[in-house]
Amino acid sequence: MDWQPLLLTFKLASITSIILLVVSLPLAYWLAFGKFKARGIIEAIIGMPLVLPPSVIGFYLLLAFSPSYWFGAWIENLIGLRIVFSFTGLVIASVIYSLPFMVYPLRAGLQSLPLSLQEASFTMGKGRFETFYKILLPNCKPAILTAFVLTFAHTVGEFGVVLMIGGNIPGVTKVASVAIYDEVEALNYTVANQYALVLFAITFAILLIVYSINNRLLRVRQPA
Amino acid sequence: MNFQRIIFLFSILLAGCSKPSDKIIIATAANVQYVMQDIKKEFEKESGKKIEIVVSSSGKLTTQIREGAPFDVFVSADTKYPQEIYTRGGSDEKPKIYALGTLVLWAKNIPSADLKIEILSEEKIRKIAIPNPRVAPYGEAALQVLEKQKSFDQIKKKLVYGESIAQTAQYISSGSVEAGFNALSIVLSPEMKGKGQWIIVDSTLYKPIEQAAILLKHSADSPKKETSRQFYDFLYSKKGREIFKKYGYK
Amino acid sequence: MSILEGSILAVTGPSGAGKTTLLRQIAGLVRPQNGHIQYHGKLWLDTNSKINLPTQKRNIGFVFQDYALFPHLTVRENLAFGLEKGTDAAIVEELIDSIELRQLADRKPYQLSGGQQQRVALARALVRKPDLLLLDEPLSALDHSMRGNLQELILKFHQQYGFTMIIVTHDLGEIFRLANQVIVLENGKIIKRGTPSQIYLPAENTGNDLVLYGEVLTSVIYPDHILVRALIQQNIQELKLPLHMESDFHPGRSFALRYALNMADITLIDK
Repeated sequence: MDWQPLLLTFKLASITSIILLVVSLPLAYWLAFGKFKARGIIEAIIGMPLVLPPSVIGFYLLLAFSPSYWFGAWIENLIGLRIVFSFTGLVIASVIYSLPFMVYPLRAGLQSLPLSLQEASFTMGKGRFETFYKILLPNCKPAILTAFVLTFAHTVGEFGVVLMIGGNIPGVTKVASVAIYDEVEALNYTVANQYALVLFAITFAILLIVYSINNRLLRVRQPA
Repeated sequence: MNFQRIIFLFSILLAGCSKPSDKIIIATAANVQYVMQDIKKEFEKESGKKIEIVVSSSGKLTTQIREGAPFDVFVSADTKYPQEIYTRGGSDEKPKIYALGTLVLWAKNIPSADLKIEILSEEKIRKIAIPNPRVAPYGEAALQVLEKQKSFDQIKKKLVYGESIAQTAQYISSGSVEAGFNALSIVLSPEMKGKGQWIIVDSTLYKPIEQAAILLKHSADSPKKETSRQFYDFLYSKKGREIFKKYGYK
Repeated sequence: MSILEGSILAVTGPSGAGKTTLLRQIAGLVRPQNGHIQYHGKLWLDTNSKINLPTQKRNIGFVFQDYALFPHLTVRENLAFGLEKGTDAAIVEELIDSIELRQLADRKPYQLSGGQQQRVALARALVRKPDLLLLDEPLSALDHSMRGNLQELILKFHQQYGFTMIIVTHDLGEIFRLANQVIVLENGKIIKRGTPSQIYLPAENTGNDLVLYGEVLTSVIYPDHILVRALIQQNIQELKLPLHMESDFHPGRSFALRYALNMADITLIDK
């Protein structure tokens, strides 16, 4: 069995999740505590990937980044890389596709903290960023973990977008979900089964580990 | 009161159960879909019977047929899949070849004068799309053509694999790739006419693309049996073959 | 309204009157639509000229009703959190001793009792040696004896560090014990202002008298007097009172115990 698609899948999921974590923390904070009129619109935009079929996202990305289109051509000239049919393109697509899975749990976690915690920090002279970093985040660990895992798992399962803009290039964009699909198409059910089983086992193990950590974190919080 | 409600629900249920229609369903591989539209029109005119066309990839259709999908005739893009169905007892007759496919080299932005196989080795061609060779006969053929080139190793790095003929066509016609291989029937179709330039690839460079169809098994008393046979025979009739020729099949 | 520096002001009134909001506005956690707040000549808020000094820059300490202790930090770390860079950490240890939690200094808040948490919240608000201490019904969740202890502690700190203090409270005992001045709010407006005696004993001219607040717990009738057990200064005291007062002294009744300071009754102590 060729391990490359599996390695590629996990590489994609890891990189996407890490990028999303960094990007989503300020976004979630802003949504949780900011006061601004456009909030409804922003929230709707963030939630779109939940509702849109992945192929739609893939389709628009293909259009946007195509070198035939001025934007795609400009990007290609700028960084010398064609976004479509590249791993980078998959990362960009995955980040968009999994965004709500990272933002929503983070926002919920932040909002579940009593406002007085932040305010206490302010009265002790600490600014918003320091408060966020030293007080809010450490008390959100279960939410952060949940968000990360959901994003990771969601990206592992990504298929429609990758199919659209990946180009199925072995070692570059041929991720496990597409490889399984390929094998089924070629009527190689045995190989497809092998891939699927390994994928299932590994993701199950990851989720199991993460949720037991999560439970331990939550148990520690119980009063003595 | 309750009694009325029960009657009401019942009638809704009955309304949902309709008599099985006599329309036959033709499972069609993606790259033949445009031809099949014409064939359908012609057949319906001649026989007065209505038919339905389902388009998908040969691989998916084969799997569905294996699992009992209610198709009557399967028109594939190759021989492998219909053969698979025959070996598994999905039909009483062996698959028959209805046409030979023609491979084309197609590009959105390259002028006809410059378009030839050799150009694929050049720097300015950064990505080349071919249908996935594992599942599409046109992809296999394209690969055969490319392997014969001297600079195959470099060309291989530029390859992008379309999930189907249709997706490969999208990659090419949208300009996401500089050039690619596809089926003649696609570039001749009304939807793709005028989108870019193409040339017919030298047929000696690849093994003939034999496209076969198969008449699926019907029970003896099936109302669709007769119509299916009619349609199947129509494919190989003079009229049928003319339509195929129009789309560049041999 | 204005407060004398170093004094203690109690803010009271019915629920929803705006007491907490007022406190939060002074702290800078909430911005009023119209207002002007000045501290020591320094302008904290002026809506007309769009000046609004952020909370962080107002040298205040705030004790929240829910304590708002940081769950992930120990007692010591909670206190130390307020320290500015470069300041001496001695104040942290000093406060830990004052609140008598040296043994528990490395525990996390969830491991402490309510009273202990309250003490930490109070100490934490004082780490930065604020000029103004704001307390939002800090003792409402505690029982009598703990309340008494905390009140002692507040008074002790007040004497030690000399801050100005504003406390929102419902408790009359607290008002009498701690406050120099009281304001009563209703629907966002100040309806009464004065010393505790002026507000709650308006008919009396208590003048210079020392006034202690008491609350009746039980009252037993004897042939020639009534014996009243009452909570005075958070301690249970027994008072012998004339029979004719019997009808007034039912459980829960508030009263004031007065000691004249004019021609006071004094006994010297030889050490």
